[in-house]
Amino acid sequence: MTASLHERLRAALGADAVKTSPEDLAVYAFDAYTDGRLPSAVVIPADTRAVSAAVKIAREFHEPIIARGAGTGLCGGAVPIVGGVVISFARMHRLLELDVANRRARVQPGLVNLHLSEQAASSGLFYAPDPASQRSSTIGGNIATNAGGPHCLSYGTTVNHVLALEVVDEWGEVFTTDVDDAGYDLTAALVGSEGTLGIVTSAWVKLLRVPEAVRVWLAAFGDIESASEAVSGIIAAGIVPTALEMMDAVIVKAVEAAFHAGYPTDAAAVLLIENAGFEDEMQACESAIESIVRSHGALSWRAARTPAERDALWAGRKGAAGATGRIAPNYYMQDVCVPRSTLPKALRAVESAAMENDIVVGNVFHAGDGNLHPMLMYDKRDARQVGAVLATGDAILRAAIDLGGTISGEHGVGYEKREAMTRVYTTDDLAVMARVRDVFDPQRSLNPEKIFPSGMRCEELGPVR
Amino acid sequence: MIPQAVERIVPDSVEELCALLARCDAAGTKIVVAGGETLRGMGSPPSGHELVLQTTALRRIVSYRPADLTIAVQSGATLKSLATRMKREGQFVPFDAPKPAHATIGGTLAAGWAGPRRHRYGRPRDLLVGSTIALADGTLAHAGGIVAKNVAGYDMSRLYVGSFGTLGVLLQANFKTLPLPPVARAFIAPLPEATRSRAIAHVRALAVEPSVAAWIEGFTGLQGDDGLEGRLFLLFEGTQALIERATRDLRSALGRAGVPETSIVDERARDLFDRFVDASISTVADRSMTYRIAATPDRVEACAIEARDHVRRFALDADVIADVMNGDVIVRASRRDTRDLALKFQVLDDALHAVEPRARVIAGDHPMRPALRVWGDEPNAIERMRALKARFDPRATLNPGRFVGGI
Repeated sequence: MTASLHERLRAALGADAVKTSPEDLAVYAFDAYTDGRLPSAVVIPADTRAVSAAVKIAREFHEPIIARGAGTGLCGGAVPIVGGVVISFARMHRLLELDVANRRARVQPGLVNLHLSEQAASSGLFYAPDPASQRSSTIGGNIATNAGGPHCLSYGTTVNHVLALEVVDEWGEVFTTDVDDAGYDLTAALVGSEGTLGIVTSAWVKLLRVPEAVRVWLAAFGDIESASEAVSGIIAAGIVPTALEMMDAVIVKAVEAAFHAGYPTDAAAVLLIENAGFEDEMQACESAIESIVRSHGALSWRAARTPAERDALWAGRKGAAGATGRIAPNYYMQDVCVPRSTLPKALRAVESAAMENDIVVGNVFHAGDGNLHPMLMYDKRDARQVGAVLATGDAILRAAIDLGGTISGEHGVGYEKREAMTRVYTTDDLAVMARVRDVFDPQRSLNPEKIFPSGMRCEELGPVR
Repeated sequence: MIPQAVERIVPDSVEELCALLARCDAAGTKIVVAGGETLRGMGSPPSGHELVLQTTALRRIVSYRPADLTIAVQSGATLKSLATRMKREGQFVPFDAPKPAHATIGGTLAAGWAGPRRHRYGRPRDLLVGSTIALADGTLAHAGGIVAKNVAGYDMSRLYVGSFGTLGVLLQANFKTLPLPPVARAFIAPLPEATRSRAIAHVRALAVEPSVAAWIEGFTGLQGDDGLEGRLFLLFEGTQALIERATRDLRSALGRAGVPETSIVDERARDLFDRFVDASISTVADRSMTYRIAATPDRVEACAIEARDHVRRFALDADVIADVMNGDVIVRASRRDTRDLALKFQVLDDALHAVEPRARVIAGDHPMRPALRVWGDEPNAIERMRALKARFDPRATLNPGRFVGGI
């Protein structure tokens, strides 16, 4: 059976586009969260037709189909939980069309996020969603998870930047969507569906103009509450900066040791604030933000004066996760979103959950959006620590839900959080989502065992009344 | 458009509405869902229904936390009531839909209305973070939440936007709000044909982007002049410092294009904007048909000219708005003399779709409307859309025949 699956795939896609050796397959069994089973095969198609052919063959063999970008996902979204055929987009990584006049680009799903902005830069344009993984994560993966990033505070998440999609469906047929088409907004339904409704093979995305002026500021605080209140103060003043990021003492120390970014290591919290716009208004904006953070007791205030200084401040933020290697060999990053005004409560809940379980926690997150990323430090060789991290992560989810928040702000549900879906949605809510799945993937062959809780069987999923 | 003989029910509570839906669905009673009925000129007129269910009594602001930049509102609330409340906190949501005193949140979302400031602030759906819907059988379903970002499960809320109430009845919508720009300044300039292309190109290249930039021909009620030469209408929003910069840049850009004069409207800039938005669906009694053609910004001028010339070729009066930032062309065809009007609308329908397949009717009460391609060409994924409808509303209880492809 397996041999003929491999033969069929090789015949259709070419031998070099099909991987079958256990060593090769092992590379595709995991993502940044967890590992699953070895896939039956990995295909690396060069174009939409090859994707379509691979899906048709996988179907004949009743193999699940798992689309995969760079595998940087943090919730097991790209992991073949029950095996299957993994479709890697490593070869479909090109910028197909750069339409400068209409500020948009058509890209293949394997294009690395940052590469798009780099290639658009000479035309004065950039792609706004910027997940921390943007140096390696792909636009296709970003679309699957509706990825966010620091700059989504003012620019919005991936869904606001996708204009049209080309999709291969469960049967291997190609269809297209466009936000300007008549009919249902299938683009919106597909973005964030984590590969369970179709496989995106190309996308038109919106590009924005590179701003004329960019300023970055750093404010340090003696406690996390003051920093949180300063965030609310900035928003209340009618200023929505392009980014408003917070880091606590644990992260600041780790980052400073790793990057020497110039963060004040005696602070309990620092805010990294960026605003983009025009020189004409930047000075007034700077003064307004400075006076707000000072009125909330900022210990220090720094404005990056040169692009190099700006990059240094950002380098600390973007490298925060990696820098925690100095604290513990492993980290688990939780992702919850709460109403912005509940940030101090949420952070206290994070701290007490970590303390109860004797786990070191560092916070580095999108404060402007209320999107927390507590990083739980541990050593995965120590079973006690592993258990403690899971318990802490769960307590953080509970706290976020109690505060009116949600179980994932930008990383997705994947395999990790599917059981938690029942905590924020009723059976009816989930049944409605399942109706969409029924139309696009009735056999549940696209990325199975993701998003929907395992206990949810078809018969429970809202038979048509 | 909706016959008045049909019974109309305006439920006072969500429970009442759901119970009514359940009863109708079980009995096979077809329902039209209505909000303020301001956009009833969009899409196909409903047919074969026995009941109109109007959401206008469900108009409560469920929660508004200005510090969180979120608002949750029942679908029957008017755009104006919401805007008035948010304005007190210096915030807004850019619905940009006509007749805001009557238009409801639910209706505006259901119609998928996307206005002229969307290049700057996004579409209403971009700011929608959660929803509550009643399915055809009366079941309530929630999606998303009242937080800025949420990727827990499918983005059902955005799927309901533009669905014309054919998947369920939207009961509540949760939005991210935006800070209201402190200053608005409008500009009106005559746009002689010789200067037009260059002026439009210069406007699109401005560093400080206008919130609205449109070339308008006709729609004489809009400014009160004769409109023969066409006009440029611009709205800038931001801080005073930014507006001053924009003003300098604009004057220089239009001067270079040869535009003879530019007048500034400050105090009534937002009123003018409201009238501009209203114009897009204004009708000439039942003798007009208005299309919205989705072009790209770089083709908008050519597309507007082509559409206008087609209208004139059939001896109809043409009013045109070309949204140079988003690429929309709004073209209204009308005629005082009703002879042969039905036939003219029919041939014009073909001609406009030849200009751009994505040409949709957004206003017009002429009896010919059901025979026109009011949705433009059918979308590529139409069969999947039919399957979605069948899965959500298997008895086709909601808004029968209202949507694309007979959905």
